[in-house]
Amino acid sequence: MGLWLDLAVAGLITGGMYALVAIGLNLQYGLMRVMNIAHGEFLMVGAYLAWWAHTTTRLNPLLALPLVFVVLFVVGLVVHRLCFRRVAREAPSVEVLEARSLLVGFGLMFLIQNAAFLAWGADLRGYEYLAQPVEIAGARFGANRVLVFGVAVAVSLALLGVLRVTLLGKAVRAMMQSPTGAQLVGIDEKVLHPVVFSAGLALAGVAGALLSMIYEISPSMGEPYTVTALIVITLGGLGSAAGSLVAGLLLGLVETFGTHVSNPSLKPLLSYGVFVAVLVLRPRGLFAR
Amino acid sequence: MSSAVRLVAVLLALLVAVPALAHEHPVKIGYAIARTGPWSAGAQVTQEPNYILWAEQVNAAGGLNVQGKRRKVELIGFDDRSDTETVVRTFEKLMGSDKVDLILPPWGTGANFAVMPLAQKHGYPMLAPTATGRRLIDMKNPYFFALLQQPDRMMGALADFLAARGVKTAAVVYVDELFGLENLTALETALRAKSIEIIDKKSYPLGVKDLSPVLRDFKAKNPDAFLGITYPPDTFLVTGQAKEVGFNPKVFYAAVGTAFPVYKQRMGEAVEGVTGLGTWNPRTNPAAKAYFDAHVAKFQKEPDRWASAHAWAGLQILQHSVEKVGLDRKALRDHIASTEFDTIIGKIRFRDGENVATPGIVSQWQKGEFEVVWPQDRATAPALFPKPAWK
Repeated sequence: MGLWLDLAVAGLITGGMYALVAIGLNLQYGLMRVMNIAHGEFLMVGAYLAWWAHTTTRLNPLLALPLVFVVLFVVGLVVHRLCFRRVAREAPSVEVLEARSLLVGFGLMFLIQNAAFLAWGADLRGYEYLAQPVEIAGARFGANRVLVFGVAVAVSLALLGVLRVTLLGKAVRAMMQSPTGAQLVGIDEKVLHPVVFSAGLALAGVAGALLSMIYEISPSMGEPYTVTALIVITLGGLGSAAGSLVAGLLLGLVETFGTHVSNPSLKPLLSYGVFVAVLVLRPRGLFAR
Repeated sequence: MSSAVRLVAVLLALLVAVPALAHEHPVKIGYAIARTGPWSAGAQVTQEPNYILWAEQVNAAGGLNVQGKRRKVELIGFDDRSDTETVVRTFEKLMGSDKVDLILPPWGTGANFAVMPLAQKHGYPMLAPTATGRRLIDMKNPYFFALLQQPDRMMGALADFLAARGVKTAAVVYVDELFGLENLTALETALRAKSIEIIDKKSYPLGVKDLSPVLRDFKAKNPDAFLGITYPPDTFLVTGQAKEVGFNPKVFYAAVGTAFPVYKQRMGEAVEGVTGLGTWNPRTNPAAKAYFDAHVAKFQKEPDRWASAHAWAGLQILQHSVEKVGLDRKALRDHIASTEFDTIIGKIRFRDGENVATPGIVSQWQKGEFEVVWPQDRATAPALFPKPAWK
């Protein structure tokens, strides 16, 4: 019994990480249909900033989180202005926007990876932070993993609250559902669009900074995270903060229990199995409305 | 400064230096290696820095001694972008149309495997420091020389080390990939010969993010030894997670990556007592110490304690051979195949392309150094056994 409880907590913690990785992309693609395929690269930049701040100035990685958020938010405004503003404005339909932003994202992906390589080299990097175990329900877990889980749940819930309750959240959803209608009722798309995009980028950076406490980082670390994020937001239902969280946790649990009874090598089979099953039963995702 | 910029700097320095000796053409040495993409982490720790350092040292000493004549070395290096196609195309160009004097190998078993037939076709000897696998050796390619110890040697040494300490049971994880499978087979054979029982074994895919379910299972089964046939990111993962779940067997062994300096930086105190694949450290001999110091001075980073020194040994072998027989590549090949060389990791001698002089070795982190602990005649420190508790 004890082992099963251990596994359940371990699965939730892994799932929290998946949810965290997806939050930023969910804002950009889920809500605005900007297919930012360079999502993982911005996550990588966040990871490098946290690592760099920690190793050069001994800055506590937790204190680096707000710093990373601000830096990547500003980067987001610049990237939006340079790359996505025109794409978003001139796309005649959502489908065209997705396709065009996908291409822009590919370009960004190569640019950022190579810039990181030039700046920091290709070596694996990492540092030790909160690696000591904490006990939960009699089982031991890495403190940094528990922290990631906490942040993932907190940010998901906060986002859910903002989108559901506040006027800002309604404005964001309106902008997606009917851009013209949103403008007619006075929603300033010129401000909101870049802000939401940049918030997505900033959250990707924060996710990267948190993951740098657990995993080694390198300029090519981003792509698998982009794939994970896409699976999670599709599984949860595009744009749904609650859906992303549940989808992430579900994947984590399935993988943990699945690898326990079978073999870690079957992990991709298990996660894609869940993905396919959900898409067959609910093609628009778990929480699609 | 990134290594790309550094390389450009080296090449520029060469351009400036070369006209001064215009009567002697430089020796052109070509290669493709990963500077970007997933292989670059390994390639830039273990391999390319050695090429650059070596070329610099050789040129500082007046050039490469080609049967008595000093000629400068000119490295012609390309980024292969961690892409096998690019590796093959680049080497084809270097050997086929550019006709460089010599080549240096790419990084990793897969890339070497892809280039081997080309090296044979064009007749370029290839001294590979980062390729392992019986499959490569069994191809009996006369131009291919593998500097690393092959899986049966490494796993045999590990089994001897365990048996000498009375280990009776082991739990094994292995990466689900050619490297993992081949080493697993070698390990199973070696453990069986020593009557050590494998009480559980699990495979995992490359890029795994959580192995704690497996480690919790192992912990419950309480084996004497944990043996991980792992690749770098996963080597870090099993170490961190074993510490998290409090799985502390008497021997904790992980394969590729334990010898990397970043392993120590990343895992901190937790590395104390962890064993893994290694060959050497600065205490191995004075030449190794000199190499270590030069590497740190040039790149502000330490070489890894396994394949880096094999890469350097390969360059030493090439240098000695060129001095003896010149740049005739057939003669070079024959010389390399039939001579015993003195290198920073001791004697190296090839039989059918395999380095048969370097024994399998087990190393262990002790107080910030990856000490060689097995076999006895190579040991730089006695083994810590049982492994102390995780810190």
